[in-house]
Amino acid sequence: MDIAELYTTAELAQIKLEDSEVESLGGEVSQMVAYFKKMMEVSVDALEPTTHAFIKKNRLRPDTFHPSTLADDILEQSPDLEDRFICIPNVL
Amino acid sequence: MRYPTKYDSFVGLEIHVQLTTESKIFCGCRNRFGDEPNTNVCPVCMGLPGSLPSLNQEAMSKAYLVAKALHCDLADTCLFERKNYFYPDLPKNYQISQFAKPLGTNGWIDIVVDGVTKRVRIHECHLEEDAGKMIHAGDMSLVDYNRTGTPLLEIVTEPDLNLGEEAEILIHELRRIVRYLGVSDGNMDEGSMRCDANVSVNTKGAGLGRKVEVKNLNSSRFVRLSLNYEIDRQTEILEDGGTVVQETRLWNENRDQTIVMRSKENANDYRYFPEPDLPPFRTTPEFLADLETRIVELPLDRRVRLVSTLGISQTQAEVIGEEKANADYFEKVLEYGADGPTVATWMTGDVQKLLNRTGQSAAESPLTPERFAELLTLMAEGKIHGKIAKTILELVFEKNKNPRVIMAEQGLEQMNDSGELAKLVSQVLVDNPVAVEQIKAGDTKPMGFLMGQVMKASGGRAEPGMVQKMLKEHLG
Repeated sequence: MDIAELYTTAELAQIKLEDSEVESLGGEVSQMVAYFKKMMEVSVDALEPTTHAFIKKNRLRPDTFHPSTLADDILEQSPDLEDRFICIPNVL
Repeated sequence: MRYPTKYDSFVGLEIHVQLTTESKIFCGCRNRFGDEPNTNVCPVCMGLPGSLPSLNQEAMSKAYLVAKALHCDLADTCLFERKNYFYPDLPKNYQISQFAKPLGTNGWIDIVVDGVTKRVRIHECHLEEDAGKMIHAGDMSLVDYNRTGTPLLEIVTEPDLNLGEEAEILIHELRRIVRYLGVSDGNMDEGSMRCDANVSVNTKGAGLGRKVEVKNLNSSRFVRLSLNYEIDRQTEILEDGGTVVQETRLWNENRDQTIVMRSKENANDYRYFPEPDLPPFRTTPEFLADLETRIVELPLDRRVRLVSTLGISQTQAEVIGEEKANADYFEKVLEYGADGPTVATWMTGDVQKLLNRTGQSAAESPLTPERFAELLTLMAEGKIHGKIAKTILELVFEKNKNPRVIMAEQGLEQMNDSGELAKLVSQVLVDNPVAVEQIKAGDTKPMGFLMGQVMKASGGRAEPGMVQKMLKEHLG
């Protein structure tokens, strides 16, 4: 993988990349991409494309709501609250 | 557009419509506007580890219903994908959306611009989950995740619009459609309908120009203003020999102008990939049959029909056809034998005034379609005249009784007995000798006064035509 591509990928993933990491990571990522290339070699012409191996039927849920009993527990995990709002550094 | 002969302008819209469902799209949390912050949240919509989404069937039905109403090809298989980006209102760091296989493609919507129908192509409709809401306050931002994971339908048009006015009309028409279908309240103030726009300007005949995206358009008026502002701005750049920069701009409602939000050089790379936790959705014959039962006559078709087959005016059709419930009510009154133009006149006039006063819709008011028709029948039968009809109409609202009953109870039936009327007329003439003299001397002005006196003496019940005739007979 090209170093510029690696930096772009890191930026998109919001990962700060030290220059020292670039070389080793570059190699690892290239290896992963190469594996996809290998998979692409397999002929799948006769197969119906699918994203799931087993599920053929729709999986749907009726439109009924359930009280959110875990809301308070979830809020407790937040490091900073104002009333019931979660506080974060200004991102505007 | 300052130089309409020199440049073409192109506008495409991305309209987000919040679907009204009981629960969110992938979890059972309540989908409701205005609740206390962060009360309708659970591990699924908050993206906590180990939670799995499950698809709300009603959200799917409503989304397909809109796609059908917009004449889209309905996908027999549609797929959810992860759209990856980082923003604090998106707790999973990806939004479940549709990309490669949206549920509807290649549709169209008709709008009427200056009396001419214009067809705008719909590129696609896809279903996704909405993000949370943020309030920016000083050095911090406050996040409310109640909206996170509520079903959101995105409708993308082709760049077939040319001006801000057309975009505004399209938004209004789409709002009517989703309200007619009962899938959304289409309320832009509360954010249940939101819009982004793409605008480009190019030399005439040269096709699309370099597009600028405009965001933050939370009213149809802002859509119109911002697009026209952008068209002018881009035209001016071209006119000065410059190049338009491809960027995203924000509408600033305080300054009535668009400002740069971000430039697009680091092109969006959302790294879409199929959502592994959701199987593809396949339409079934039952699903499609259900859509057939839920589709309705579209608002524009209905307005056209009301005008062409019932003889009401365009303006009346617009008022009556704005809301489905109102149009249904109107046609219900006609089912009782009333005449279209008469009902339309009353409905958009005196009835509307009373409804405004009581704050009710026609359907929930004491004036049932049957009573409405009865009131008009009483007029048609000559039992009451227009002024009395208005009195009875008010009494229907007040007393919640049938017009015929009110007429009998209040003794409001028109006085058609010529003997009785003649007596009243004679008495009025005796009581007003000065007026009579004036008229006999050739000044017809007091005629109206005498007419009023007779009407008064009859308690408003005299048939005005007969009174006029009798007065003329007496006074030559």
